[in-house]
Amino acid sequence: MSEAQHPLRIQELVVRYGWGESVISGVSIALDPKEIVGLIGASGAGKSTLLRAVQRLVEPESGQIFLNGVELTGLPPRELRGARRRLGMIFQEHALIGRLSVMENVLAGTLGRTGFWRSVRRRFDPEDVQEAFGLLERVGLTGFEDSRCDELSGGEKQRVGIARALIQHPDVLLVDEPTASLDPATSVRIMSLITEICLERGLAALINLHDVPLARRFCPRIVGLLDGQVVFDGPASALDDAVLRRVYGDEAVGGDEILGH
Amino acid sequence: MIESATHRRLIIGGLALYGLLALVTLDIDLARIAEGLSRASAFFAGWLRPDFVTRWTDIRAGLLESLAMTAVATAVALLLSIPLGLAAARNLVPGPVYTAARGVLAVSRAFHEILVAILFVAMFGFGPFAGVVTLVVGSVGFLGKLLAEAVEEVDPAPLEALTAAGASWGSRVVFGVLPQIMPRMLGLALYRLDINFRESAVIGLVGAGGIGATLTTAFSRYEFESVSAILILIIGMVFGAEVVSGRLRQRFL
Repeated sequence: MSEAQHPLRIQELVVRYGWGESVISGVSIALDPKEIVGLIGASGAGKSTLLRAVQRLVEPESGQIFLNGVELTGLPPRELRGARRRLGMIFQEHALIGRLSVMENVLAGTLGRTGFWRSVRRRFDPEDVQEAFGLLERVGLTGFEDSRCDELSGGEKQRVGIARALIQHPDVLLVDEPTASLDPATSVRIMSLITEICLERGLAALINLHDVPLARRFCPRIVGLLDGQVVFDGPASALDDAVLRRVYGDEAVGGDEILGH
Repeated sequence: MIESATHRRLIIGGLALYGLLALVTLDIDLARIAEGLSRASAFFAGWLRPDFVTRWTDIRAGLLESLAMTAVATAVALLLSIPLGLAAARNLVPGPVYTAARGVLAVSRAFHEILVAILFVAMFGFGPFAGVVTLVVGSVGFLGKLLAEAVEEVDPAPLEALTAAGASWGSRVVFGVLPQIMPRMLGLALYRLDINFRESAVIGLVGAGGIGATLTTAFSRYEFESVSAILILIIGMVFGAEVVSGRLRQRFL
């Protein structure tokens, strides 16, 4: 498949913090259009670091990242800002600004295209405001526009985070442990919402999940990460005990806990 | 605490000896103490009979001047300290900017208000202008440093989210930082308002205007009744400021 057809392609990526050992050691993953990929692995395997390196929130040491054929690695700051807009990110613990309203938090997703003085005076583009209302309706938060974000429940906050990522008009969604602080039922609802939206909008997504049953249920393709290296890349149906032992280590897989049989 | 009994005795003995020798060098003059006591009784007698009336015009002018100095100085200092505080936060700016801003803040806190006031009174002459400049310098150091610390303590996650959305540095500050430090900023500004009012009484002693100037005049005229009235009014003002800032906090935080 040619370069431009992969919405996101990560090539031989290496990330190192300071002078220590590399956290990501030569990871290559290519997403096909509209593909939803679940990234699993023990804590410390480098899942979050990988997503942050794709956004260049952490500078990779070597390797390349292509977004729709455009290389992100090595882009100068101004162009990087533009490219970041095409990558929507949904965060663990939502990363909202608690003291601002739901509406302001969603519109914060447009700051990449809204000028500084307009943002100071909260003079957002009326079209963006209309879109924000629409997105809040889509994620099920109609009527919450003026609530302060720190008054919302965990699931509601994550919905605001999803709307904020979507208003960027991203080509690819990077999702970092979206269910980390949620109860099981809410986790399922949030994951269905994310995957439904990806289908509706034809978005490719790379989703970090610590919860294997959730990954298996919502992500057709799974990538397993161990010590910064890809040790499994295949369909969710191929995810058996042997693979999980490879990803999580022998002692961790008693079967039931991780697999959720 | 100290295991060995010998060590313990040695230390206690040494401290006692030191105390004794120190006392001898004090050169206590009973005659002067007696004289001081009689002056103190005159002062306390005045204290018990506060006189608001005789010098009321002066006291009122002094108080209003102090209030004006306090308000102007705090407002100006807050405006100056916001950019300085942002520039002095390690998580927002590159190294050289951080060092420069920290340097400015350190210099403005280096000298006690009294020293700064003496300097500005020499530069600008007697009166409230020198006082306002003094208070601004002190407040900028105070507010800037504490704001910088508040900025360094903000939750980095929303800032990272804004970076990921492609937001510029300015937008990140306006959306990610300012809302998070707003309560601290308001709290610090109110606290500094309080400090500045008290400081305005102190720097008046060296000629920088305000109620302090009225207070020195009263002192040098031995009008302890007026002194007492002024002190009571200062206490009242500080107390009033406490009530007002409590209300503001309740409303905005």
